[in-house]
Amino acid sequence: MKRTPVLTTWVWLIRDTFRQSMAHGIGAVLLVISLVSIGVCLSLGVNGRSTLAQGDENPDFLSRRDADATNVENLNSSGVIVADGSLTLAFGAMQVPLARDTRSAIRFVELVLAGGVADTLGLLLTLIWTAGFLPSFLERRNICVLLAKPAPRWALLLGKYIGVLAFVLFNAVVFVGGTWTAIGLRTGFWDPTYLLSVPLLLLHFSIFFGFSVLLAVCTQNAVVCVFGSIVFWGVAWSMNFGRHLLVTSTDLVSETVRSSYLSGLIDFGYWVLPKPADLGVLLFHALGAGDHFGKALDLNVLEAHGFSMTLSVFSSLAFAAFVLWTSTRKFEATDY
Amino acid sequence: MDVHAAAVFEKVTKFYPRRWPSRSVTALDQVSLTVPWGEVLGLIGPNRAGKTTLVKTLLSICHPTGGRVMRLECPWSDRSTLAKIGYVHEDPAFPRYLTAWQLVEGYGRLAGVAAAPLHKRTGELLEQVGLSDRSQETIAGFSKGMLQRLALAQALVNDPRLLVLDEPSEGMDLPARRLLHEVICQRRLRGHSVLLVSHALADVQRLCDRVAVLRDGRVAFVGRVADLAQDVASHEPQSLECAVEPLYEGASA
Repeated sequence: MKRTPVLTTWVWLIRDTFRQSMAHGIGAVLLVISLVSIGVCLSLGVNGRSTLAQGDENPDFLSRRDADATNVENLNSSGVIVADGSLTLAFGAMQVPLARDTRSAIRFVELVLAGGVADTLGLLLTLIWTAGFLPSFLERRNICVLLAKPAPRWALLLGKYIGVLAFVLFNAVVFVGGTWTAIGLRTGFWDPTYLLSVPLLLLHFSIFFGFSVLLAVCTQNAVVCVFGSIVFWGVAWSMNFGRHLLVTSTDLVSETVRSSYLSGLIDFGYWVLPKPADLGVLLFHALGAGDHFGKALDLNVLEAHGFSMTLSVFSSLAFAAFVLWTSTRKFEATDY
Repeated sequence: MDVHAAAVFEKVTKFYPRRWPSRSVTALDQVSLTVPWGEVLGLIGPNRAGKTTLVKTLLSICHPTGGRVMRLECPWSDRSTLAKIGYVHEDPAFPRYLTAWQLVEGYGRLAGVAAAPLHKRTGELLEQVGLSDRSQETIAGFSKGMLQRLALAQALVNDPRLLVLDEPSEGMDLPARRLLHEVICQRRLRGHSVLLVSHALADVQRLCDRVAVLRDGRVAFVGRVADLAQDVASHEPQSLECAVEPLYEGASA
């Protein structure tokens, strides 16, 4: 069956984006980061008592620090469980005493990998590195020849966008899939919820890269795209986080702001802009982060204040769709 | 105006509104031209006469403000006709990470050429433009002349019925120019059309059936090359350079 010009263009642009990323060294750097992370996970080990939790139960146990004050053997014999295990890194070269059971320790590692390495560091680095792809693609001397091909203009722009998303998806799958497999092989702990971070990472990236596309179409300037998308991410995150703090906190300042016109303005900004902090909450909730970190934004608390994660995600997606639609309209109308 | 032609421009106007700090510009003003089938039309004129803008309106790279543009007997908005057009940009900048082979083959796919014949055609074209021995090298190290040869190869990959060449001989050495001349003659022999934008008046005189002179966005002359090269007073043939000089004079740039 003959492929349509749009599909042919997209397939070629996806391949082109992978070539571009390898030529610029971005693909290699991300692969190295993934391999190092996989290597670290392969060097993980867990010693001592491994299973304290029963099913989904969050266990009550004494950490070793508490138990030091008393006699561990006496406690054990009287039925109180003491967390005496340890997590080892670099094939046992480093030992970290566990104040929790194996499952929660591994969850903690996965949380650092998904939330810290991938969703924050990886996302921002990828956003910066790929921000130059669109401006060079739209460079007048390059795009003129492509515009003289039969594919519609919107297909060219969306093809490049999809190409970058495919590149990010590939790297997310390598990173998350690789670390998940390594952790599973070393500890026997196969937590499928960790794999949810792949679609969440892609969703997060797709929304903010959409804004970068708009900047590229309007300015064709890589510097504007890099700084613009990072500043925009910061503004959106601050608006999102600040709005939730305002809604959930009970101090006097928050109550005063809530009763003023500022409240409406913040609400408007919250609903119009994409919501990176909410996507973070979703990721952390999926990985059970509440067991390990303070709950600055607790999903349950937010839901008690009328928050809907579905609505939040869909409004972020709506923003991305609007920005892409605006970009294609602008691209269609631009003379090169 | 005959719409049964490779390209038709009918009272085409292109106006660029003022964008600070630049001022507004009328790049094309009521331009009417036809490129019949099987003809090589030369488009000449001083800098900023509107030649490239006219080419870009034909290829839907630029949107005309007014008038009508027909491409392969279809309106300019019908992008499917671009599958049968080849285009050499005046100063091409291809992705530097692609090899010559990847570029020609990839652009052929984008032009809608099926995969099976494309492989063979890519090899033939790279051989024809003299780049077959460097087909697996990335084009980052290619000279200006080599890039122009590559640009010609990618423009021919879809066997176009209309070939649009914007300053194609810029940076080309003698063998490459000869190749370009051969390509243009072959297209004409096959009944295909060529629109050649050039400052190389000797090439225009040698290759083109007709010539159009643009000045300040308007058509200053359109007709046979021999007619342009004829001295008005003495009716003696003269060089094209001498003939176009009065037409170029008074241009704003």
